[in-house]
Amino acid sequence: MATPVSVLRLPKGPDPNSRGFDPKSPRFIALCRTSIPTSAGSEADVEQLPKEQHARSVLRESFLRCLLSVTNKKVQFHMYERVKVEATFGASDIDVMNFQVSDLHTPIGVQKEALIRCQDVISFSFDA
Amino acid sequence: MQCGWSLLGPLQWIRYINKQVKVTAGKDEEHRGWLLTVDPVSASLVLVNFHDDAVGGGRASVQVVMGHAVQEVQVLQDADQETTQRLQSSFLPPRARPLAPEQLGQRRAGVRRWLEENRVPVQEDGEELLVAGALTIMAPYGPEDCCSSNQIILDRVQRLIQSQPAAPPNHSAELPNHSAELPNHSAALPANQPIQRLIQSQTAPPADQSERSSCD
Repeated sequence: MATPVSVLRLPKGPDPNSRGFDPKSPRFIALCRTSIPTSAGSEADVEQLPKEQHARSVLRESFLRCLLSVTNKKVQFHMYERVKVEATFGASDIDVMNFQVSDLHTPIGVQKEALIRCQDVISFSFDA
Repeated sequence: MQCGWSLLGPLQWIRYINKQVKVTAGKDEEHRGWLLTVDPVSASLVLVNFHDDAVGGGRASVQVVMGHAVQEVQVLQDADQETTQRLQSSFLPPRARPLAPEQLGQRRAGVRRWLEENRVPVQEDGEELLVAGALTIMAPYGPEDCCSSNQIILDRVQRLIQSQPAAPPNHSAELPNHSAELPNHSAALPANQPIQRLIQSQTAPPADQSERSSCD
């Protein structure tokens, strides 16, 4: 199944700047989440904040190192509707909204480069 | 559709770290593994499973479960000291293993030989290699260990080191045997393409070493 396919452009999600999209609708939240969720504890203890910041930075650093080690490895994406595809991991964006992959093996052929929406992914796995 | 996992916050997430957890995600996917980290931005869990082969040390398979798909997270057991240690060091930069001094010396000599065979002036300066007076190569003498302020030299030398053929283990012991093949090799390949010759035949290095003495 190594036939390359031409680039497919799928419809984009709602544009956050145009009229008519309720920012609270599930579709908007799923596709246009633009800000990193901040801590809910602004009214909670002020002394918890440094601890939370520290925890947040430790967790994030670990996660970023993990992402660094996935680059250029073959990963298997498990997506909704029982979709399992294999690709070579490229990069992720800062909010973990999209993954850039190469050589995505789909049932219709191999996509040379693709952007996978994180909202569609349930999990992905690779060998370290 | 989201369970409370994404809303817990870093202070709660960090309590799950280094524990073996069972995660249900999506419709009916279940994942088990040691929780390495949770991404605070997307609440994604990174699970590691070790497969200890007899050959070549342990491999690990890693699953990342996206935060928005998580249904339930259950703690199965805590990690002991050894597993925690293994987990924390699994994604550190790969060069954490120091080489023994003799291996380092051998590598240095190998890289130096390769550079000289490619007509690149190189001098040994203690533990480092000085190339063309403008570039320094430090241990362990890989392409990433080159330091220079000259972009062009840096690029050339990095590419050269990257294309160095892997040396067979008893390289020095094979030298006397290969000397008999010298006439065949130099006759077969054109003398004005040194780099081509090196890349084409791995057993040819002795042929080039004899020529090296003439230009030193």
